[in-house]
Amino acid sequence: MSVYEKIGGEAAVDAAVDIFYRKVLMDERISEFFDTVDMDAQHAKQKAFLTMAFGGPNKYTGKDMREAHKHMKLTEDHFNAVAENLVATLNELSVPQEYIDEIVGIAVSVKDDVLNK
Amino acid sequence: MSIVSFEGKNVALDHGESVLDGLIRHGYKIPVGCRSGLCHSCVMAMDEGEVQAVAQKGLTEAERSLNYFLSCQCKPFSPVQVRRVNMAGKQVSGTVVDKCWLSDTVIRLRFKAPLDYVPGQYVTLWKDEIVARSYSLASHPRFSDYLEVHIKHIPGGKFSPWVAEELAVGDTLGVQGPYGQCIYTAASAEQPVFLAAMGTGLAPIYGILNDAIVNRHRGPISLVVGASNPENFYLVEELNRLVEKNDQLDLHLVARESDRERFIVGDVYKYCRDRFFDLSGCRVFLCGAESFVRKMRKQCYLSGARMSDISADAFLPFGGK
Repeated sequence: MSVYEKIGGEAAVDAAVDIFYRKVLMDERISEFFDTVDMDAQHAKQKAFLTMAFGGPNKYTGKDMREAHKHMKLTEDHFNAVAENLVATLNELSVPQEYIDEIVGIAVSVKDDVLNK
Repeated sequence: MSIVSFEGKNVALDHGESVLDGLIRHGYKIPVGCRSGLCHSCVMAMDEGEVQAVAQKGLTEAERSLNYFLSCQCKPFSPVQVRRVNMAGKQVSGTVVDKCWLSDTVIRLRFKAPLDYVPGQYVTLWKDEIVARSYSLASHPRFSDYLEVHIKHIPGGKFSPWVAEELAVGDTLGVQGPYGQCIYTAASAEQPVFLAAMGTGLAPIYGILNDAIVNRHRGPISLVVGASNPENFYLVEELNRLVEKNDQLDLHLVARESDRERFIVGDVYKYCRDRFFDLSGCRVFLCGAESFVRKMRKQCYLSGARMSDISADAFLPFGGK
């Protein structure tokens, strides 16, 4: 069973995405990457990201990750900031630590693609 | 580049050009309104070719199955064959029953039309067979047998000067709709409600507010109305009357430049940020110019409102050429 299923599937993602997207928008280190005219589209993207990080059904490939982040000139600090906000979101929702570890593991697994290494 | 086959001729579209703009550029008279996919005045049918989902957004199931599409939103990648559809069948006839100025810049138009709507929705009004514009409804079917819209007067425009100078009580005009999802709903009658309007965004907000009251909403309702200067406020007496009658309602009229004691002086965004810093659990309605709605939406979300709890009606300027 994936973490996605264990924490409640799409309902869990819906609960998390509002909190997570709000956190990254308020985080001055990374808000510029998330601030856009089309909040709905960005909200949907974050939902897709969380679904992936939770190990749920998603269509992400390493290549997509690379392509999507290619021109953003992201650094290790940016990646860590997103990870911090992810962990803070999960803590806020009282997700058990072992699940958080698993989710962070999935997020870290796409790090090289995101940072274009 | 793509080819549009229309009324026996082939029309070449420029790169990124919509079917609507291409046909108009080639001299065809095509009904046009918002050019944003909202007013439904430019609906056509596609007989050959692929209809993109984006060009059918907001159409009914039946319209979709007939291959109807919004020609302003349709930018085909491959050749298409399209034809006009008679949208007159989608219109009802409205008869003007009242017209007056609510402020120096806003005209209130009341007309009777056989049309069911929910307050906060909008209709498309037809000046003639070509020019159409969308306006939000301020009336409530419970209180009035007419529909009411607030029309911002834009000198030199194709629609509002016609309303101001020519349209008279007793005249008829085509009415199409209603459309739109920015209507009163709440998780419960106790949920706090936050409404914010700028300019004629007050029209749908006034409708939504009345609908909340009609539906016996008991939770606190806060209404913020913004204006650049106090002369632009309208419906103030009606709003104050609602406040007197409804304990759960509080009203905040915020003008950037104001010397009157009746109004709050300041920037509406800052005022909302300071006064309504915690909107978690709140049902939010935002109506007005696109820039206002976009800024407020982000601000309300950052103040804790859930994205799915924010309903918005952004007024788009006519994307004319």
